[in-house]
Amino acid sequence: MEIKDILDEKMMVFDLKATTKEEVLKELVSILKKNGVIDDEEGFLNIVKKREEEFSTGIGYGIAIPHGKSDLVKKPSVVFGKSKKGVDYNSMDGKPAYIFFLIAVPENSDDLHLKVLAELSRSLMHEEVRKMLEKASTPEDVIKSFTNQARRR
Amino acid sequence: MKKIVVVTACPTGIAHTYMAAENLQKTAKELGVEVKVETQGSMGAQNVLTEQDIREADAVIIAAATKVDKSRFAGKPIIEVGVEEAIKDPKSLIEKALKLEKPTNYVEKVQEIHQERAAQRTGAYKHLMTGVSYMIPFVVAGGILIALSFFWGYKAFQVEGTLPWALMKIGGGSAFALMIPILSGFIAFSIADRPGLVPGMVGGMLAASTGAGFLGGIISGFLAGYTVVYLKKLIKLPKNFEGLMPILILPVLSTLIVGLLMIYVIGSPLKNIMTALTNWLTRMSSTNAVILGVILGLMMAFDMGGPVNKAAYTFATGLLASNVFTPMAAVMAAGMTPPLGLALATVLFKNRFTDEEIEAGKAAWVLGASFITEGAIPFAAADPFRVIPSIMVGSAVTAALSMLFRIELRAPHGGIFVIPIAVSNPLLYIGVIAIGTVVTALMVALLKKRVA
Repeated sequence: MEIKDILDEKMMVFDLKATTKEEVLKELVSILKKNGVIDDEEGFLNIVKKREEEFSTGIGYGIAIPHGKSDLVKKPSVVFGKSKKGVDYNSMDGKPAYIFFLIAVPENSDDLHLKVLAELSRSLMHEEVRKMLEKASTPEDVIKSFTNQARRR
Repeated sequence: MKKIVVVTACPTGIAHTYMAAENLQKTAKELGVEVKVETQGSMGAQNVLTEQDIREADAVIIAAATKVDKSRFAGKPIIEVGVEEAIKDPKSLIEKALKLEKPTNYVEKVQEIHQERAAQRTGAYKHLMTGVSYMIPFVVAGGILIALSFFWGYKAFQVEGTLPWALMKIGGGSAFALMIPILSGFIAFSIADRPGLVPGMVGGMLAASTGAGFLGGIISGFLAGYTVVYLKKLIKLPKNFEGLMPILILPVLSTLIVGLLMIYVIGSPLKNIMTALTNWLTRMSSTNAVILGVILGLMMAFDMGGPVNKAAYTFATGLLASNVFTPMAAVMAAGMTPPLGLALATVLFKNRFTDEEIEAGKAAWVLGASFITEGAIPFAAADPFRVIPSIMVGSAVTAALSMLFRIELRAPHGGIFVIPIAVSNPLLYIGVIAIGTVVTALMVALLKKRVA
């Protein structure tokens, strides 16, 4: 399984309406609900918010990766969101976030999925990937950002 | 090239764990530093650091939001940070790690381990150990003063007014006599706080006077402690009279209950047990003595200051109250050979140890000589399956020999400092310890692999 297999174009938004951190999380979680990944929208939103309190998922470089692990999640999924104006996310570098990945996994995920998610997280640390994501305006652009990266370690 | 090993860990374990790992790996490559990162995420531990990895590392970075077991990194400079730091600024993190000073203070580390263990004790074990820890200084003071009085001859103390007589009065008549009451009293104190002292101490005195010995003291301590706890729960007084509880009601009732139980119920059976035990121990055949020595030796070395070690130690110390002195000698010798043997091994067989271990070996001489068995822990932590069997064999041999020669020790602690005073046959005892030390060193050399 590869990163492109876990990115679903139905769960990609290129013009998030949200303007605050709270709103962004809400908007991303609702996409999960719309696609049948979760039933309990509020429940999962609380889980993501709780994780956020432990420490911020605004990793800087304009990217944020809120995530939640819970049995409310039916299958491992990733929601991709882009905000044109940027959102104050309380990030580690103090700058706003423009690119969001909401990661949702069930309590006992199958290792295969977890592995791919780990790959995704790792890729975000590479500048080339981030640059391509910043320019992405279609689902193919997003997928291409990840597949181009040399995954040697 | 410098090498760093890292562990990243985060509660949810799906993102930060891996991002931290990736960032550190990327940055290390840029800095020309070799790095191996173990991730502890949702999938479990991946890329697990091997013994060799840790050995070769110059520093350890733990970037974790959850508790990571540090015992495998004993002896390495460690820097612990939150996961975000590894993501935010890996470069300065790596630089900081490489600049860290090696923990050269081996003795401090052993003390740290001591304290950690003290903090971890719970329940009945904790209560017992509290009592024992208060008791030991009494036994040390008493035992040594008694031994001093023997300088003038074994019967010298019987002549009233002389110095040996005074020493025996202080050591045997007073310090030693307080041993069991203190043990009992502080076991009770640990359980029930201040109100436990009275029934505990009184119960202990009764244990001593009825011949129930240190076993009786342990029982009376727990009995007293829990009696107070239950009395507190059962008796509820109106607010105005509450002050009477600790001053009048608790002391009287608890002491009455414990006292009566000790005299009519517990005293006699325990006295019989102790008498039987003491007789068996003093009249033991050589074969049985050696077997007991082996068992005590194995126990002392097995967890170096942990519960098993303490059980053997408490057994031997408690017997001093019943005038049985041979297990004590065996136990102390068995507690000295692990650090001494390892120290000797670092001198004779340098190629089995890392530089840090060789440094640590120097301190181990002192720790071993002072009967601080924990001095062996850092070596054991780094290589448990080879070190622990080795020290167990050495300790078993030394304890067996000590029992075989019926060497006696009247003080529960002090290492070489008490040998000239409190041991029945100092030169032979030193020889026995020396043999155990050599055996330990040889075993270590045999089992351990050469270090690159």
